[in-house]
Amino acid sequence: MDKQPDPEPDTRPPEYDENGVDVSLIRWMLTLTPLERLQLLQSNVNAILRVREYLERK
Amino acid sequence: MNILNESNFLGILRELAAAEIEFILVGSVSAVLQGAPLVTFDVDIVHSRTPDNVRKLLVVLEKLEARYRIRPDLSPSESHLVSRGHQLLSTKMGPLDLLGAIAQGEYEDLFPMSKIQELEPGLRVRVLNLAAYLREKEARPDPKDRAAAEILRRLLSERGEI
Repeated sequence: MDKQPDPEPDTRPPEYDENGVDVSLIRWMLTLTPLERLQLLQSNVNAILRVREYLERK
Repeated sequence: MNILNESNFLGILRELAAAEIEFILVGSVSAVLQGAPLVTFDVDIVHSRTPDNVRKLLVVLEKLEARYRIRPDLSPSESHLVSRGHQLLSTKMGPLDLLGAIAQGEYEDLFPMSKIQELEPGLRVRVLNLAAYLREKEARPDPKDRAAAEILRRLLSERGEI
């Protein structure tokens, strides 16, 4: 059987509104559950803290 | 205690909920739960300042090893928590700000502007609704708050709420 081609990814650039707000990011956030949004925030904070810690050690 | 290298938003909310503390999540974490792509390092809550709630809150704060961020030698006390002031604390799970009142009022004033969000089975957190949080941001002159306000307005629009 022939292998099905992989689905095409969405390669469009982010969509910004007239105030510079990334609308595609908001729409993606709205697809997540509240817990997933909190976990995303925690992950972002942890990444920032790791970078900060690395820079302080340099 | 390093106030930033240990952070656990979910852990703080679990502790508050498990102790049946009456509070409203009001800061950027509340907006993130409702879909705002914002980043913050602390949990901001407005707590009910009734004697019973303050007593329960003090037990949780002791468990979290809460100290004032600028006075690590000082722990919050009952007299602090019954005031309208802002207690800016560090805990073993990260920064936690206890706000006696914000621009739109205290716990009882904000209650009608809040709603419940279920994070996981058994963990229900009361959050300030986005429109009210937007009004808080609009009341502040800081450019960072104005930028966040633009995001909140667009989010409300995407949700069909304005």
